[in-house]
Amino acid sequence: MGNLKEDLKSQIIEQLNLEEVSVSEIEDDMPLFGDGLSLDSIDALELIVLLEQYHGVRIANPEEGKKIFQSVNSMAEYIIQEKKGA
Amino acid sequence: MNYITTYCHINSESCKVNGAIVAENTGENWLKDLYLNLGIKYPKFHKMDTLSQVAFLASEFLIRSNEDIGKYKEDEIALIFSNKTSSLNTDIKYQNSYENGGTASPAMFVYTLPNILLGEISIRNKWYGEHIFTLFPTFNQKYFVDYPEALLGEYTKACLCGWVEVNNDKIEAFLFFIEKKASKQLNLLHTEQNIERLYKQANG
Repeated sequence: MGNLKEDLKSQIIEQLNLEEVSVSEIEDDMPLFGDGLSLDSIDALELIVLLEQYHGVRIANPEEGKKIFQSVNSMAEYIIQEKKGA
Repeated sequence: MNYITTYCHINSESCKVNGAIVAENTGENWLKDLYLNLGIKYPKFHKMDTLSQVAFLASEFLIRSNEDIGKYKEDEIALIFSNKTSSLNTDIKYQNSYENGGTASPAMFVYTLPNILLGEISIRNKWYGEHIFTLFPTFNQKYFVDYPEALLGEYTKACLCGWVEVNNDKIEAFLFFIEKKASKQLNLLHTEQNIERLYKQANG
């Protein structure tokens, strides 16, 4: 799980072109939207692409997105849960 | 009569403000170097396509060299931009991204319209005035006189005009600011002859 979170942080930085953010600056429970990493609605779409591209995980119900993309923690939990169920 | 009070050129070799070189391309990542040269923290810059990056950079260099721009209200500055190839450079990149088995990038898709650069400049400066992006086969100095002259009046007090073109590695931006009175920096009448002369300066 630890490696998965670190991988996710690197992937978020690369996929979203966050050139001025380093992996160490993203805390596991930091909000990705709003006051935390300040991502926007287009970034949310890129995160959906990221999950599919890097982890082969799809979000079946778009309404779940808000909960899944709360933080790196919640993204990692979703990936593990989806892979267990596959 | 109206006046051109500031202008900025960016091409693959240099960035000039009012004809004076402010930076020269010496590295591999020219646009990022210019961003760093500005000394600002605006992470959204890295997400923009090349067309928006060039327009954004030219607007930043121009705005910081004209202290009067900050005196206008948020809806008093119109944006009048133009180019030849629209967002073609980004359109091709976007097409390549999904044609070769990849996933279409939503972030790249956003930039498959040239007028997005107007939004980037507006968001950055919190401007809500008139704005238009028009395509022409070549630089059209007549348009850059007629359209601003029609707009300048009770509501629009100044215009930021620009020709921004990106074609593969070739970049070209010429932005100029029009006001109803001359500035301390520059005292050029807003005429076709002057616009054409300034535009040609970029390649001179």
